[in-house]
Amino acid sequence: MSGKQGAKGGAAAGKPKKTAKPGAQEKREDVLQAVILADYFQDRFKPFSLEKPRCLLPIANVPAIEYTLEFLAANGVQEVFIYCGAHSEAIETYVHDSQRYSSRSIINPFSSIEFIRVSDATSVGDFLRDLDKRGLIGGDFILVHGDLVANIELDGVLAKHRARREANRDACMTMVLLQVPQEHGALKSRVITPEFIIEPSTGRCLQYEERHPLQSDHYTVLDPALFKYPEFEIREDLIDCGIDICTPEVLALWSESFDYELPRKNFLHGVLKDWELNGKLIYTEIMETGYAVRANSLAMYECVSRDVLGRWTFPYVPETNFVHGMSYKRVRDGSRLEDGVSISGEAKVTGSVIGRSTEVGAGATISRSVIGSRCKIGKNVRIENSYIWDDTVIGDDSWVIRSILAESVEIGKDCRIPEGSLISYKVRIGDGQLLPPNPAPRLSLLQHDGSLAETDSSIVGQGGAGALYEGPIEEDDDESEDGNGTDPAALQNSLIFSLAHLNLSASSISTLASHDEFDSDDEESESRLLRPDSSGASRSRLSSFASDDSAVASSLDAFHSDAVHGLVDALRADDSVDFDSAKLEFMGLRLANNASDSSMRRAIAVAFVRRSSELLSAENGGLEPTKAAEEAFTSKRGAVKFIKEVGVGGDDTSRQSEFALSLQKALLAVKGLEATRAGALLAAMLQQLYNLDVLEEEGILAWWGDKRAAENDSLTKIKEKCRVLVEWLENADEEESDEGDSD
Amino acid sequence: MAPSQAGYAPSLDKLLKSLKNHPLEASIDALIFLLTRRQVHGDDCAIATAHILLQVVARSKWNDVDQLLARVQKAGSRLVHAAPDEPVIGNIVRRVLGLIRDEASEERNADDLSESASDIQTLTTSSSPPPRPPPLVRSTTAGGSMLVSKSMFNLLSVADPADLPTGASTPVSQAQPASIQALRSEVIDGIEEIMDEISQADDQIASFAEIQINPGDYVLVYRPSKTVEKFLVKAASKRRFTVFIAGLEPHKKQGAEAPYAALRKKLNAAGVNTVNLASNGLTAYMARVSKVVISAKAVYQNGGLLVDSGSCIAVQAAEAYSKPVIVLCGVYKFCPQDPSEELSSGGVKGNSSAEVSYAEGAEVDELEVENTVTDYVRPEHVDIYLTNLGPQTLHHFAGILADHYKPEEMLLSLQLGEA
Repeated sequence: MSGKQGAKGGAAAGKPKKTAKPGAQEKREDVLQAVILADYFQDRFKPFSLEKPRCLLPIANVPAIEYTLEFLAANGVQEVFIYCGAHSEAIETYVHDSQRYSSRSIINPFSSIEFIRVSDATSVGDFLRDLDKRGLIGGDFILVHGDLVANIELDGVLAKHRARREANRDACMTMVLLQVPQEHGALKSRVITPEFIIEPSTGRCLQYEERHPLQSDHYTVLDPALFKYPEFEIREDLIDCGIDICTPEVLALWSESFDYELPRKNFLHGVLKDWELNGKLIYTEIMETGYAVRANSLAMYECVSRDVLGRWTFPYVPETNFVHGMSYKRVRDGSRLEDGVSISGEAKVTGSVIGRSTEVGAGATISRSVIGSRCKIGKNVRIENSYIWDDTVIGDDSWVIRSILAESVEIGKDCRIPEGSLISYKVRIGDGQLLPPNPAPRLSLLQHDGSLAETDSSIVGQGGAGALYEGPIEEDDDESEDGNGTDPAALQNSLIFSLAHLNLSASSISTLASHDEFDSDDEESESRLLRPDSSGASRSRLSSFASDDSAVASSLDAFHSDAVHGLVDALRADDSVDFDSAKLEFMGLRLANNASDSSMRRAIAVAFVRRSSELLSAENGGLEPTKAAEEAFTSKRGAVKFIKEVGVGGDDTSRQSEFALSLQKALLAVKGLEATRAGALLAAMLQQLYNLDVLEEEGILAWWGDKRAAENDSLTKIKEKCRVLVEWLENADEEESDEGDSD
Repeated sequence: MAPSQAGYAPSLDKLLKSLKNHPLEASIDALIFLLTRRQVHGDDCAIATAHILLQVVARSKWNDVDQLLARVQKAGSRLVHAAPDEPVIGNIVRRVLGLIRDEASEERNADDLSESASDIQTLTTSSSPPPRPPPLVRSTTAGGSMLVSKSMFNLLSVADPADLPTGASTPVSQAQPASIQALRSEVIDGIEEIMDEISQADDQIASFAEIQINPGDYVLVYRPSKTVEKFLVKAASKRRFTVFIAGLEPHKKQGAEAPYAALRKKLNAAGVNTVNLASNGLTAYMARVSKVVISAKAVYQNGGLLVDSGSCIAVQAAEAYSKPVIVLCGVYKFCPQDPSEELSSGGVKGNSSAEVSYAEGAEVDELEVENTVTDYVRPEHVDIYLTNLGPQTLHHFAGILADHYKPEEMLLSLQLGEA
């Protein structure tokens, strides 16, 4: 992809668009369009999101998407496209049945609301690529997420964006960011820290990185090209509310990069990194006033709910009744009550929001909480900082502290719901149950795959229903391509409700929610070991890429596993003796991922080592190392040439030694292969390669002398096995030189 | 590609421009949402309400006065609820309701006294076909004395024109449409007059400026509204005095103009000095001040004022120094009711981030920020009410209210003002 674009050059990148819509753009310029992404392909809100999409979860008794739609309406958006994934019917039904937004409604502020489903979408990127194909977008549009709560005015930002675009057609996107100080609650609640590197005078974003506390290196690698700019700022104090003002070129960029999945981590990072190729400029607009935060994790859900209670989101607060049919009124002690709420005289309600027809019994204390409609709160109940959805029943004398109780939950009498509990739909808890405070319980009727869980009466008590919810631990590894790949350790800990950990040290905050894209590939560390290679820069065929820093590790890892799989499959294949297609595929992958030479070398080494070690094992015939090596290298036509040209990449001694080192390290990683046998295999492979003229003796000897080849015991052990080969080579060398002398 | 538009966000101007193209309900709801979002606020509310009610009269379907009254009242009460801190909306609704009743009763008279058709021509501005009475559904035995109790029991249907004291019993008339048309245009004319009154009020108030401001005065204004600005500019054309502008915003947006720069420029051009006072420094200057000028959002029948939050400080400081307080308010801001408890005891709470930025930091989590949008000023703190009809005192209130509202609508206050 990038290669093709590079050939075209930066200036021509916008060209294909022109043919697409010259007329449409003129005509529809004054209609503001918005795209709502209503699925995130994440598990963060499970178990709640098992039954309802995230954007319908109530924030202060109003479904999140109402805030988003209202925000768009307040900014004069005319056409809305909603991309739904999971639970798309629920979202469509909700909007169609809504008095205000249904298509029949004459009070609909939008001229159209369209739903788009993409059946095979696995990421946000698929949505946007689909959008590009449909050609629905005429001009600039606003890209938002369905969990956004915001009251900022976009007019100014839109005007600035337009002015920039007038000045330079390549200014394709403006991100709206909210500036808050470091210690702000909204920042503390987030797991991934976005780092925007911005040119302060223009607001142009120069580089984008993400950090999260679980990553192995706690630093950001700056692109050396940055230092050409007179000044830049590295900002971590920005809330990324996900509001992007995009030109249609943004969609074209998405289409050009078929592997981008996430708007920030992949797209923004990638486009900024390649800006010398694509020439696209992305700007930031930092708001100092107003409110715009996404409820994109449970911790953020709590944060946003609290802000709604605190009227930071004004006018989108209950007492303005901004959604049709709401009837909240402010009463003393800062609470907001809807019609038909009956609160017993002795009950104390402070700073809370209570929905229609809820009953609160005598002696109950409710503070800074949200309680839905038609709930029944018993006598002497204590509720603090909790979010209780509709139709919930809480028995007398129970306590609920800083928890989320979903719809139709029933809590018996005299129960204790400790901090951080998550209780999903229709769970029943028997009388007198004390839920264990640590780890904070997550209770659900359903398991992660949607099947009914068996009731665990030790947790929910007599007459209860529901069980502890366990996340899909095994599936996650397979999903790593979806950006869901999670560190197993983090996954286990993420079962703990994040609210409970807000006050813990930074390192444990890391374990709160599932991470978008943390790939704990075993070989990641290895990839890092290999990356700083001396030869890479000199023969890089993509010299415009500044460097491969560790932040692209995940994309490299993806490349690595794909490439190794492809190669090994090709080597295994019985039906074909040709290696050319595998080579073609490999080169394609390499271009797509912008893989460096070192990662290619590593991938090739791993693939061949894996194949040869496979041949050693009993089920594949249990060949001798020499035979196995020979079989691996020579069974397919073109494989040797491929190694020579791509894997080694030339006659240079240093490259040959690097390749030998890669083989050695790859052998180390092969499971179930003891060191002596690995060493024998290495020797056999090196000899084979020597015989095939891929490696020359100088290369092998250089590897032999390389310190990295003997960094630790296991490496040394493997290496020792090659001593015979090396000695033989040295002798041959001497002989040769003797011969040379005698000539 | 032309970046000419002012912006995409909906506004009152855009709404008014698009009134013709949208169904009536859509327009009403559009205004309701503008009010909820506070995209229309302050003095714009009155004119916006008048526009929407005009549409209700002109475009909704109604066959008799009762229906029309019910329609107007329904739309009106929804608007009132959308912005509980803008009582002026309720005033306009009441004025329009009163207007409809007036016109309806005039038509009755016209019908009764058909010989005096020429009188009616002078009374009514339109040259409509001879008015016909609206249909009478009920018997007309009710006398004027019954009126009050009746309207209390059944507010929505009080408006049978036959019940009005002026209307004698008449037979049910036959030709409806013509009379409906006539009434419609009469009412529309009336609403347009109200709109004129609203838009001219500021200028009329300003015309009294030179009487109120003497040469050499030190005038303190608190967050001057458009009304106050016009007043000052007009006074500056005749008088030499000094203006203290108090109550500057606590934090101003980056890149924005200095506060009240336009006003200060105009005043300075006319030779009037202006001094900006930092937020709470005004009390220190009070000894020097000769009068305080503020504008009200609404004036209640007890003489109390609803003002933008903060003005209260200026008024109380003036009280402490015995300085006169002049309140500028169009007559349309006079409410025939007493302040609701919520408004007089703390006011409606607005956006917390207006006073403390959300970005202020960690303390925001633990802090309960309450930003009152309005203040209530007690009647004893006010010396002169300067209206578009001239300076008034509390004693004139009953008369002014009686001139502008009918007794039926005064009672409506319960329905409109609450909930």
